Amino acid sequence: MSDTPRVGTPGTQTGNTIRDSALGLVPETVSEIIALNGHVWNDTIVPPALLEIIRLRNARTVNCVFCKSVRYDVARADGLTEERADMIAPGYQDSALSEREKSAIALADCYLGFPAGIAPDLAPRLAAAFTREEIAAVLVALMTFNFTSRTAVSIGGMPEEPLPIIELSVSVTTD
Amino acid sequence: MPDCTSLTLDRHLAPAGASAESFARLWAGLWTQRRIPPDLLELCRLTFARLHDDAGEMAAANPAVALAAGQRDAVLAGQAPADPAYAAALLFAEYYWLDAQSITDEAADAVKAHYGEPGLVLLIEALGLIDGRIRAARCLRDLSAHTSAKEAAHV
Repeated sequence: MSDTPRVGTPGTQTGNTIRDSALGLVPETVSEIIALNGHVWNDTIVPPALLEIIRLRNARTVNCVFCKSVRYDVARADGLTEERADMIAPGYQDSALSEREKSAIALADCYLGFPAGIAPDLAPRLAAAFTREEIAAVLVALMTFNFTSRTAVSIGGMPEEPLPIIELSVSVTTD
Repeated sequence: MPDCTSLTLDRHLAPAGASAESFARLWAGLWTQRRIPPDLLELCRLTFARLHDDAGEMAAANPAVALAAGQRDAVLAGQAPADPAYAAALLFAEYYWLDAQSITDEAADAVKAHYGEPGLVLLIEALGLIDGRIRAARCLRDLSAHTSAKEAAHV
């Protein structure tokens, strides 16, 4: 992984972390990416704590150091404590996470896997845990988290060592 | 939903509401922007389809893009294009698909040499959207197939 960024930034200080990042170099897409992030967090039928669980599962799978260090305020307010965030790890099946939370991690792993896909024995469990609307919302959220974290890794300049956990307002990526 | 691919995904995600609409707009914008040729993005999609070994995705064709004769078959066969800009982008795409952490500075520099820094960022965004949509489509196809089969077995 490149330890220096492969591209620069637009040099703006708008306060939106996406617009001020390298993504701001592409005005054709950056506004919609910000809007998408806002819709994922603010206009969804999936609770913020569940979204944060799949976001962290993705971050740890992709190994995005920045994404792994962030905790969004809305998820914390929705009950995702650091103790529960730590359960999103190998052995999560035996953790105190709820069955619905475990099913969300299982769906994330299906999406993130090689090959991607859902095994026959898991499909009925997912269909029982989530409505059709919730499955669609989780997949949109997963795609959003996945492509933004892989973008961050691809651009480079990421530290190799873990960063301290920081709580961020989701508004810094959506407004 | 056996027909679900990255190209038809939006109608299957529509029940998610505003987030799905926004995702669809972002996707649609890829095929009208001018930083990376849309036919190159379609070749990236076919490259990922090959790497996923996804027959449905490989058989699909983006109606918004006209590929030159032979381009489609060559990419599906894993052959690098003769055009150096296209070859650089497709090599970068293969690194990206394998693991974003595996991308070399040389591969990134080659893309920047042809498309500039904004072009590299756009390509990275596009690769993430393409791969994500292929993955999501596979999940929805499997979910539909396996739950339908279970329901049929109970009839």
